[in-house]
Amino acid sequence: MSFIPGQPVTAVVLHFQLSCALQQRIEICKLRQGEHLILGFSIGGGIDQDPGQNPFSEDKSDKGIYVTRVTPGGPAEVAGLMMGDKVMQVNGWDMTMVTHDQARKRLTKKNEDIVRLLVTRKSLEQAVRHSMM
Amino acid sequence: MPKQDSNIQKKIDHEIRMRDGACKLLAACSQRDQALEASKSLLTCNIRIMAFMSELQRMKEAQVMQRVALRSADAGPTDDRLPCKGKVAISDLRIPLMWKDTEYFKNKGELHRCAVFCLLQVGAEIHDTDMVIVDRTLTDICFDNTIVFSEASPGFELRVEMYSCCSEEDYSTGSTSRKLASKLSSSLGRSAGKKLRVAMDPGACSPISNGGGATLLLPLPTVVGPKYHLLAHTTLSLSHVQDSFRTHDLSISGNEECSHWVPLYGNVCCRLAAQPHCMTQQMMSGCLKVKFGGDPQSWTNVYGVLKGTNLFCYHRQEDVEANIEPAFTISINKKTRIRASEKDRHNKAQSICISNHYGGEEVTHTLSADSREDTHRWMEAFWQQFYDMSQWKQCCDDLMKIELPSPRKPTLVTSKQGSLYHEMVIDTSDDISTVTDILARRMEELELRSQLGTSPPWMSLFEESPGCPRTHNRLPHSPLRCPRPGLLSSEASLTSDSDSPCSTSPCSRYSGWAEPLSLSSPSSHFRPRTLSLDAKLSTLRGRGYGGVLQCSCQPPSSSSLAPIPAQCVPQATLSCSSSTSSNSSSEGSHSPELSDGTPFSRPSSARQSLRNLRAKLDPRNWLQSQV
Repeated sequence: MSFIPGQPVTAVVLHFQLSCALQQRIEICKLRQGEHLILGFSIGGGIDQDPGQNPFSEDKSDKGIYVTRVTPGGPAEVAGLMMGDKVMQVNGWDMTMVTHDQARKRLTKKNEDIVRLLVTRKSLEQAVRHSMM
Repeated sequence: MPKQDSNIQKKIDHEIRMRDGACKLLAACSQRDQALEASKSLLTCNIRIMAFMSELQRMKEAQVMQRVALRSADAGPTDDRLPCKGKVAISDLRIPLMWKDTEYFKNKGELHRCAVFCLLQVGAEIHDTDMVIVDRTLTDICFDNTIVFSEASPGFELRVEMYSCCSEEDYSTGSTSRKLASKLSSSLGRSAGKKLRVAMDPGACSPISNGGGATLLLPLPTVVGPKYHLLAHTTLSLSHVQDSFRTHDLSISGNEECSHWVPLYGNVCCRLAAQPHCMTQQMMSGCLKVKFGGDPQSWTNVYGVLKGTNLFCYHRQEDVEANIEPAFTISINKKTRIRASEKDRHNKAQSICISNHYGGEEVTHTLSADSREDTHRWMEAFWQQFYDMSQWKQCCDDLMKIELPSPRKPTLVTSKQGSLYHEMVIDTSDDISTVTDILARRMEELELRSQLGTSPPWMSLFEESPGCPRTHNRLPHSPLRCPRPGLLSSEASLTSDSDSPCSTSPCSRYSGWAEPLSLSSPSSHFRPRTLSLDAKLSTLRGRGYGGVLQCSCQPPSSSSLAPIPAQCVPQATLSCSSSTSSNSSSEGSHSPELSDGTPFSRPSSARQSLRNLRAKLDPRNWLQSQV
């Protein structure tokens, strides 16, 4: 994704955050590895977690689920998921008010081969900055 | 009928044997989770026995009624058509919880935990789900089991019962059973009472047989151990069957005062599917002649198979087995009209006319069988099919998928050993919050000791690495990869007190904030983050554990948990960790093995306030999971 100066960026106002954010729909096809289906990323967060330690969130009381790492070359990276994305929905299931374990379970259902995520991303500029680090 | 009687009797005997086993196990086991499982088996056996007994009773009554009916004069041949049976499956049970704010954010005290499971009953068939431990970190109770009842009638009633048991009591109430035994023996007759007394002896839970030959089942013998109580129930029937998830209301018994209380939202979500046999089995088959429309000459010979909402017409009978596509298919559904037509001049037998509407047009097929009897049988089959479809209603619109339940994961039973690690039983629901409690308890002990001045070197491990172990996902298959840690998380929350970031490490982007395990570079020897629960706790145990830990990577087990050791943890890490107790600088990234630079546990000064320690052991942390 390249940052084109001057192009409008979708802005979504999230709760009490006035940040520039993009909503992305990401469709990840799970990859079979042996007897496991993997997506190729890691998540952090949850309503049972301490949000102050989330390095990705702007609002340190945000207890949402964030992508903390994306395995290079994995299905998630191929689908366009980026580190720092906040996962809002998975296949229609809400992920903004779930425990960490619940979030993990919703992503790793064995009978689902494809997960469709709705994620929010900080502004393009910041995203570019991240990816350059 | 006597054959069915003996069937049920055999089942009762089997359940009684299981119950004996469960009693003995319950009396013998010392670990809480084993006791919970045994108690669950006991309850299930008891309920099954009662269901079988009622079934037996019902059958005996039916026999008597039948005999009476035969004797009476006006018993004509009953011509009642019975609907076909079917498979009913319930799966993906999910029960949302509704914790109170205060309960949810409580920082102090132990997590209040309950063990929960469900019983599902259709007729005399009772299945149980796995047991799930519930605490305030769960928002829903999920039972992953799929339960299939193979022979259900369309008027079935599926009773869902949820049982819960507080998971924290002390179960050693030996005197209660004795008291109860003496009470019972005094209220019954002398000889029966004596027998009861013997039976009440813990360990001897078999039923007494009286002279009549039938076994006398005691009121449930008092067993020492956790006891489940009915928390909620609901009944589902054909109207609730749908090929998707639905939410149903639960009737809740009990209130907040009960020890076994779990705050239920009041609903249960599940998928209730049904496959009537008329949809899955061949109800009728045979040779037919088929004519399209009104053309008198175009009779085709086919082999017809009536299944579900279709009459499949194959060229030859062999095609059915060979899975070859049928020549054509005639719909037989709710809108189809079938009638026997008048005798054709050319045919001796009656024909059957089947009319369907395909997109506004009426299409008629005429069938003719070889003989009168065959025609009659086909008509009978069609009538039965219509009847079944009217009884099974929405289940006959389309075939609902039922996934066969996968083989149950074997419950892990840990052997009793001295180490802290082995105290923990990991149940199949991936929840080892028990570890937090044990660690918390241990930490409290240590606090006391540290207050006395002695601070063991490994104490520093816990300075900034609060333990909230959670199992994470399945082990990746390749033996090269080290399994995920995520346990006694050194990765969580290292930031708070450390102000020297691992800036030397290229990988850590956030000061002190830990990175999860990288699985994509298998070539690496090991990662400091794979310090498994076992490793950490071995240091706890060993205090300067010098030996090298088991270094074999554990092959992935069928169950999804494996905090079980055998992760590649070379000794170097341990010595690194134990040696860091003395310094306070950022040590993690300088060790050669920690080349990934991920920060490890960072001890600061040995003295921490009590409150700090408690906060660190708070189960809420910033965990990460690989998916």
